[in-house]
Amino acid sequence: MTAVAQAAAPVPAVDPVEAKARRRRRKAPLGFYCAVGFLVLLVFLAVFADYLGFIRSPLQKVPGGARYKIGPGWTAWWGTDGLSRDVFARCIYGSRTTLQVGIYSTIFGITVGGLLGVLAGYFRGAVDRVVSVIIDCLLALPGLLLAIILISRLGAVKESTTWLNWLDRKWQIVLTLGILATAPLARIVRAQTMALREREFVLAARSLGAKPARVIFREIMPNLIPAILTVAFTGLSILIASEGALAFLGLGVEVPTPTWGKLIDENRAKIDIAWWATLFPCFMLFLTVWSFNIIGDRLSRRFDIRQAGV
Amino acid sequence: MRYFLQRLLQFVIVFFIVTFGVMVLIRMGLNAPGDPARTLLGGAPSDQLIAETTAKYHLDSNYLVQYWFWFWNFIQGDMGYSVQNSLPVFDLIKLRATVTLLLGFYSITFAVLIAVPLAVRQAYKRDSVFDRTASGLTFMFVSVPAIVLAPILTIILIDKNVFSIGDYQITIGGWFPRVGNKVYPWEDPVEHIKNFFVPVLVLTIPLAAVFTRLLRGDMVQTLQADFITLASAKGVSPRRVLWLHGLRNSLFSLLTGVGLQLGGIVGGAIVVETFFDLKGMGAMLVGAILSKDLFTVQSTAAILVACVVTVNLIVDLLYAVLDPRIRHARALA
Repeated sequence: MTAVAQAAAPVPAVDPVEAKARRRRRKAPLGFYCAVGFLVLLVFLAVFADYLGFIRSPLQKVPGGARYKIGPGWTAWWGTDGLSRDVFARCIYGSRTTLQVGIYSTIFGITVGGLLGVLAGYFRGAVDRVVSVIIDCLLALPGLLLAIILISRLGAVKESTTWLNWLDRKWQIVLTLGILATAPLARIVRAQTMALREREFVLAARSLGAKPARVIFREIMPNLIPAILTVAFTGLSILIASEGALAFLGLGVEVPTPTWGKLIDENRAKIDIAWWATLFPCFMLFLTVWSFNIIGDRLSRRFDIRQAGV
Repeated sequence: MRYFLQRLLQFVIVFFIVTFGVMVLIRMGLNAPGDPARTLLGGAPSDQLIAETTAKYHLDSNYLVQYWFWFWNFIQGDMGYSVQNSLPVFDLIKLRATVTLLLGFYSITFAVLIAVPLAVRQAYKRDSVFDRTASGLTFMFVSVPAIVLAPILTIILIDKNVFSIGDYQITIGGWFPRVGNKVYPWEDPVEHIKNFFVPVLVLTIPLAAVFTRLLRGDMVQTLQADFITLASAKGVSPRRVLWLHGLRNSLFSLLTGVGLQLGGIVGGAIVVETFFDLKGMGAMLVGAILSKDLFTVQSTAAILVACVVTVNLIVDLLYAVLDPRIRHARALA
């Protein structure tokens, strides 16, 4: 039956320019595979760093090294830092913290922001007004500023509140960046929900007597996944960059644990004699941010989702 | 007009909520009586001094009362006293704000100056080699965080790199000072440019990339509209079509972009000022937050939020200036 229906359907006249553009939209470009490949490799190295022979311990000194003595080469691939530790190893171990923080805070943002957005978009009225004000407020204060205030104070809160013992620096950063991720996610989910709730299948479900909870979870939520995924990937790149900036400002995780931002900060004073110790963490951070951006961009083309700004 | 008043009210509400939020956040964890006064004074102040300060700023009353006293003083220009800098907060901001304002002004101006011609040409020669190369490059630069760009530009432009190829020696870099000094343009223009060039470049490059992408996307759509075809058909020169008819109708996303990017610029300014040791408001604010200088944080954050909110309001108004349809629709509403 489907075959007949397909054959009967008139073949639409396709404008050659449009067709070319559409083909390009469908075919993933080489850059996309490079980005995915880089991230897969990075995750693999980060997860199995302890078992891979060629990655040194991030805290161990490279034999024969002194302050910034060994440049990039066979002894230490990316040179050594001020305490003659292997920069390559520190970059790989640094990615652990960075990736974890980025992913956990994105999950937080999706959960909270998605929920707020769906509720605002579905019920509208008073709920929408409250959520909109929350979003506006979160966007009015520069993100990095909010993050610095929160992280600098959460330590004191942890000290004075007994049941918050688990909230060490890493989770403080996750919580903070999660709050930052909430606003943009809530905004796009709200807009999408508003469009979806007018569609026929939602109306059908409602007229069959489905309760709001069912409509939201069974009818609307599945259709939000493309938008959420797209924003999540672009958001991840922003969050990872923010984590780097925070670490650079001295608000990273506790001291011996390396992160890219901290590596840049530690070594930048000696940038003129040991460029490698600063440059390689920079490249890692940049490539990761870029890769997540490429994937996000690809998804937004694939799902045809327009975003408000990068 | 009614629409404008609505927006204004909304922004005023946002301003109050955010400044109140900042006040609550910065006091988190200072629960014991006398704690806020102690952090405000720094060092080991005497009990009497703590009591006096607490009474003066009503630090023992509830948050709403404290907020009211802060706000009342704030709008009268008394923003409190920063003991750590031994200056009134207002003077402190006056001393530091110029650098940050200059950074912001330069980066936005240059970013727009780069973005507009680039995006117009990209949209005009859509899908050409130029367009695709520029798209790729801008996409790359969108992804460069300030903490990455600053060290890279330091290595290229600030450090002296000597390459020897055979007998030739090529020197690149060493043109700019490592640490940005606060030299104002009206004092010594040449030194000013030298000190500000690299920091401004760090802020401008990603911003220009974002603007270019926004404007190109909008412009490509505008150029497909019927009125553009009509304009070309009736013999308006391509240049005029592009720069007058096309650009004017594509400026919306760029405007929105400026409003949305303001927070990002502040973040970038914080990083850049820290990296290059420029004594601006961003670096000052970070220092104040870390040393729990309550009133400095509250007042500076309030000014920043007011700026962000005002710019967004202006952007909103400019929409109506750019597009009469919006103006009329709003007048009818």
